[in-house]
Formats: sequence, C-alpha cells, structure tokens
Amino acid sequence: MAAVLSSVSDTDCKKLCHRVVDSLCGQTPIHKQILSCSNQEWLDLLNFLTSLFHKTVAENHSEDKVLAELSEAGVSQSGIVLDVLRSRKEEIRQSLLDRTLSISSTTLQDFDWQLKLALSSDKIASLNTALLTLSLDVRENGVLKPFSIELNRKELAMLITSLENANKVLLQLKG
Amino acid sequence: MEEVDKILIHALKQIGTEVSEETDSIKRFTSELIVESVVKCIRVIDPGLGSALPTSLPPGMSARFRVGMMLAQACQDIGYKGEIGYQTFLYSNEPEIRSLLMFLVEKLPRESAEASDQPTGKSVVLQRAISAAIKAQLAVPWLPPNCRLPLHYATQSQETLHSFHVQPLSLPQSSGKEHLKEVKDYQRDILLPITAQLSSRTCLVASVLEQHTAELSAAQEWDNEWNSQGLLSRLTPQEYRSRKLTRLHKRIEDQLRSAALPSSESAFGVSHATSDLSELLQSFSGSTHSDHILTKGSHFTHTQKFTFTQDTTAVTNPIPTVRQSEGDALLRQQEELTSLQQQFQQLCSHVSQLAADMKHTNVTNAQVMDELKKREQANSEKEEKILVKKKTIDLLPDTDNNLLKLQAVVEASSKRVINLATQWEKHRAPLIDEHRRLKEICSTQDLESSRKLSEIKSLHDKISVSTEEAKRKEEMHKQLVTELENLPQDASRAEYTQRILEIVSNIKKQKEEITKILCDTKELQKEINNLTGKLDRTFAVTDELVFKDAKKDESVRKSYKYLAALHENCNQLIQTIEDTGTILREIRDLEEQIEVENGKKTVANLERILDDYKAIRQENSALAAKIRDG
Repeated sequence: MAAVLSSVSDTDCKKLCHRVVDSLCGQTPIHKQILSCSNQEWLDLLNFLTSLFHKTVAENHSEDKVLAELSEAGVSQSGIVLDVLRSRKEEIRQSLLDRTLSISSTTLQDFDWQLKLALSSDKIASLNTALLTLSLDVRENGVLKPFSIELNRKELAMLITSLENANKVLLQLKG
Repeated sequence: MEEVDKILIHALKQIGTEVSEETDSIKRFTSELIVESVVKCIRVIDPGLGSALPTSLPPGMSARFRVGMMLAQACQDIGYKGEIGYQTFLYSNEPEIRSLLMFLVEKLPRESAEASDQPTGKSVVLQRAISAAIKAQLAVPWLPPNCRLPLHYATQSQETLHSFHVQPLSLPQSSGKEHLKEVKDYQRDILLPITAQLSSRTCLVASVLEQHTAELSAAQEWDNEWNSQGLLSRLTPQEYRSRKLTRLHKRIEDQLRSAALPSSESAFGVSHATSDLSELLQSFSGSTHSDHILTKGSHFTHTQKFTFTQDTTAVTNPIPTVRQSEGDALLRQQEELTSLQQQFQQLCSHVSQLAADMKHTNVTNAQVMDELKKREQANSEKEEKILVKKKTIDLLPDTDNNLLKLQAVVEASSKRVINLATQWEKHRAPLIDEHRRLKEICSTQDLESSRKLSEIKSLHDKISVSTEEAKRKEEMHKQLVTELENLPQDASRAEYTQRILEIVSNIKKQKEEITKILCDTKELQKEINNLTGKLDRTFAVTDELVFKDAKKDESVRKSYKYLAALHENCNQLIQTIEDTGTILREIRDLEEQIEVENGKKTVANLERILDDYKAIRQENSALAAKIRDG
C-alpha cells in the first residue's frame, strides 16, 4: 500500500498527508489527488495512512515503528510522513480524545436557539409570552438527527437546572 | 427682552411654525403669524382642542372675529389666566402676545425631559434598542425576491437563516512546540486560512464562535479550579495537573474493573462486552505504563475471550457449505444448530469447570506457598540454633580458660558499649539541637507560606471583585454614552445656560447696587431725622430763652417774632421740597405709563378698528343689498 506513495512527488506527498490528517480531525474528506493509481489503490492508500496516523498517536508508537511500517515507501516519503506526524500529533490526539469523549451511542453535535415572542394566540388576544425554540442536532449511532423543542420560561428553567445538576455530577467525578 | 424672544421663536420653530429669518422679536409678529403659532402650540398641547382651529386667518372680517374668539376661548380652556379676547390676536400689542406665547411654550410637553426621567437600566436600553430595530424592520416594505436591494437582504432573505453547524478548525497553537521546524513549516506552507478550511461558508461564523467558546470556558474552568484548590495544594501547575491525571486514571481503572469483574463471573453471555471493556482497560493502562496492575485482574476474562473467539470462528466456517445444497438446507441447518448448541453447552460447562478448577488450584497454590514460607523460616531459625550449640560444644574441653577468656571478652565488649554510648551521646546532642532548629525553621516557613497563601487568595478575591466592578462601571459608561447620544441634540442648550448664568450674575450685581442705594437712603433718612430733632430742640431752647427775655425787652420781643416767622417759613420750604419730589416721581410714573400706552399702538389699532368697522358695515350693507335683490 505504501508503495504507491513512493511514486508521488515530495510536495504532493506532504499535501496529501496533511489533508489526510485534516479529514481524520473531522474536516471535509479529501478527493482523489494522485491520478497515476487506480481507485482501489487510492482507497487503500487513504485507509493505510489514516490507520497509521490513528494507531501511532493513539498507542504512542515510537518513530522507528512508524518507519518500519513505511518500509515499502521511499526514504524521502517516509521522512515526510514522519514530519507530518510530528507537526500534527497534538491535533490528532485532541480529535481522538474528542471521539473517545463521545463514547455513548447518542451525542450532541450542534445546538442552536431562537427566541420568539408570542404576541397572541387563537384564544387569547394578548399573550406576550417568550418562547425559546431549541434545535438540537443529535448524532445517534452515526446518523445525524435534528430535534427541535419549544420551551416556555418555566420549562427552560427546568431544563437548565437539570443540566446544571448533570454538570455538578460531572465535576464531582473529576474532583 | 431679546433673549426671551429668541427662546420663544426657537421653541415655535421646533413645533413647526414657519418663522422667517427677519422676524427676530415678538414686535415684528404679524397677526397671521401670531394666529399660526398659537394654533400650532394648542395643537401640540391638546390635539383634540387644536384640530378644530384653522392655522390662517380667513379673508372676511366677521370670520376673522370668530376665529379670534375661538382662539381666545381655547387659550382660556388650556388655562391662560391673563386678559384675552379677539383683540389680542387681531390688534396685537407686544407685552400681551409675549406673555401668551410664554405661557403656551411653557405648557408644551417636554418629551426629552420625561424620557430622561425614566428609570435607566441595561434591560431598558436593550428593550429600546429592540423596539427601534423592530420598528425599522417593520417600516421596510416587503418586496418580491427579484426586486430586493441589499438593504432588504438582512430581514427578508431566506439565505441568512442558517442553522448552527460546527466543523472543527485547525488553528496554530500558541503554546508549547512552536520551535519545532516541522510545525513551523506546516503553519507557513500548508495550513489554510480558516475561511478555506470549511466545506461551506455558512459554517464559518458558527465554527469560529464554537471554538472561541470552548477555549474560553476551558480557560475559565481551569482558572476557577486553580484559584479554589490548586493554590492550596502548594504545587506548581504542572505538578498539580499530573497529580490530578494520575488520580483520575486510578479512579477510572477502579470503576471499570469493578464493573467488569462481577459480570464476567456471573454470566457468560456478556463476556464479549466485558472482554472488550477489559481490552479497552488494558490499552488505557498501557498508555500510563502500569500493565502489571491489570493483568492479574483480567486473566480469567482473557481465557474466556480466547475460547469464545475460537467458538465464533467455528460457527462462521460451516456457513458456505450450507449454501451448496439448498434442498435440505433447513434440515441441515437445524441439525447443525442443535449440534452447535450442544457443542456450545459443552464448551460452556467445560469453561465453567475449568474456571472452578483454576480457582481451586489458585487457592491451594497460595496455601502451599504460605506453608513453604513458614517452613523456610523455621528451618533458618533451627540452623542458627545448631550453629550456637556447635560453638559451645567446641569450647567445652578447656572450660576454665575459656570461661576467663569469655569474661574478658564480655567485659571488653561492655566497656566498648559504654564507650560507644558516651560517644553516641556526644554526637547525639548537637544533632538533636540541629534537628530542633530545623524543625523550627520548617514551622516558621510553613507559617509564612500559609500566610502568603492567604494573602494570595485575598488578592485573587480582590482582583475578581475589582474586575467585576470595572466591568460594571464600563457598562454603565457605555449605557450613559448611548443615552447621551440618544438625547436630542439641543445645540443652544449650553448657550442658554451661559446666558442664564450671565443674567443671574447681572441680577446679583443689580441687587448689590440696590442694597447700596437703600443703605444710602437709610443713612440720609437718619441724618435728616437727626437734624430735624436737633433743629426742634434748638428751636425749643431758643424759643424759651427768647420768650423769657421778650417779656422784659421790646426788641427781644421783635426778635422772637422773627424767630417764629423764620421757623414757619423754613417748615414751609421743606414741605415744598418734599412736594416737588413726590410730583417728580408722579411725573416719571406717568411718563412710563405713556410709554406703555404708546407701545400698545393704540392709535394705529384704533384706526385699524375703524377700518375693520367700516369693512364690516360694507359687508353688512352688501349682504343686505343681496337680500333685497334676492
């Protein structure tokens, strides 16, 4: 798999490795850049690099071990991969930590809120109640699901207190 | 009076009266202008009352009179107490108009003053801002999408309503390993600007905000913790962090192990999950370099896992053979299923048996080990005893000699012991002193450090308090600035205040002069009184003396007569002077009155009244002629 790397020029290799790290850190996935290889080879290379970076950072491998893995690639290419690894180690570690943090089956991805003032309803002429629309993007087993909830002032206070209690428990665990 | 006129004209201009530049005083106001300004004032003060009034005088004389009457009535309704009638408007005189306009201008509602009296607070400012924004948005008309200007995009375009999606950003970290060459190269050559890192531009703001909030909250949390607990532990931040890390590791390990062990022993079905967990645990502990803690705990689970994985491979192998013959697939499947189940049960029982055996052997092993240790100890003790006994047996033949020798040795050794004890004492005393001294130093240092700690804490508290205060004050400042900006820009305000101050100082000066003059007058009065008294007394004495002599001497009687005459004449003279004074004062009063009357333009007004009267008569006669003709 790494043999494909040896056919790539140094600058391209560097760019490719950095893009792989970017996609590992959660940014947009990369498109095929090396035209001289087949699609299968390209996918294999991507998988190889991703798992290499992943394993090296997660299990804290030494550089010699990485070089042994890269024995099929050229000397300069493996040097470049090492450079990339050295410069992005902290970032990869951070993103892996984030992944470990969202260990449960359902995690909150994004949340957004809008405040609305209901002036009246179909029965009451003057209502003047503030309503909060809370939209949650929840990732459940890898699938993104949007939820939106409308809360009035009392319900919002309830939600906030329960969240605060959860935070307290978390702090106790930490302390 | 010019100042007052300027203020009045300024106020009238503000409510919308068109006062031309040339009219700089009330004196130049025409009847039309007066009517217009009064009507505008009334409309502002009481819209219901003012809406019925016309702003300009009609051409017909009788209609004019009617308008004048109506205006006078309206002014009285508002509360004007002075003399007022149609003549005030049609045949104006300056002081009356001025007092009327002053009254009206004072009655004008002062919006700005009321606004500034309202309770000011953050929420009020916010609410005002919100209402202003909503008002502005409501004022913009809706347009179809093709006609929209950039102005409308803010409120009417759908494109601005993006939901909040965050993507991770790659930013150069400012901490730690900047000096690494690879990092620098990466940051210089490869790292894209954050606008190019994202797949869609709509995520940009959200992502940046999210990143900021995360970093900020992390920093705040750390700050809080460090101030509350970290400082008291008397460690450097790095030490504190590493200690906390190890503590957390231990805790998580304990938790996971306690969760993993009982379940693996109780039920075989969940052992896959638990083995995963223990794997995780192992990898986790591998990073902390403490494998030995775990291996003994998860030994059993590992054996389980191995048997289980073998089992699964055994299950997966036969599957392709099932596909080959599809006719009796069901039968074969069932057979296989039963056989597999049997196998599985066998394996299960086997495993449980093995586990029980293992436990048993473990226990026996530990027992055996204990026994072995005990035996070894006993052995070594016995060996020592044997050695001593051997020596005594060797010494037995030459008893006396050996006894003496032994005594000598014992004495020497006891002496040596005493010697050593004294030496030890000698050494010990300074050492103990040293120890005490060091202890004291230690305790003082402890005290000092705790004192400093408390100082640091109080300083932290102070810092937080003052930062809060500063924030509060800044907010207040901002709020006040916005309020100041929102206030109406009354350019002449400063001018007015200055003028008022000037006027006040003028009045003060005048007052001083008046008091001076009053003092002078009083003094003069006093002097006059003094002199009159003196004169009276002198006259009385002289009168008496002369009167006494007058009986005797004719010439003296004559002089007495002269004296009386002189006195009377003088009195008359004084009286005349006083009369002249009062008359002069009266003359001045009258002159003033004449001036006032002249100011009222009575003659001109009379002439105008005469003209108007003639005009009305003409109108009347014309109307009568019309009636007659009709």
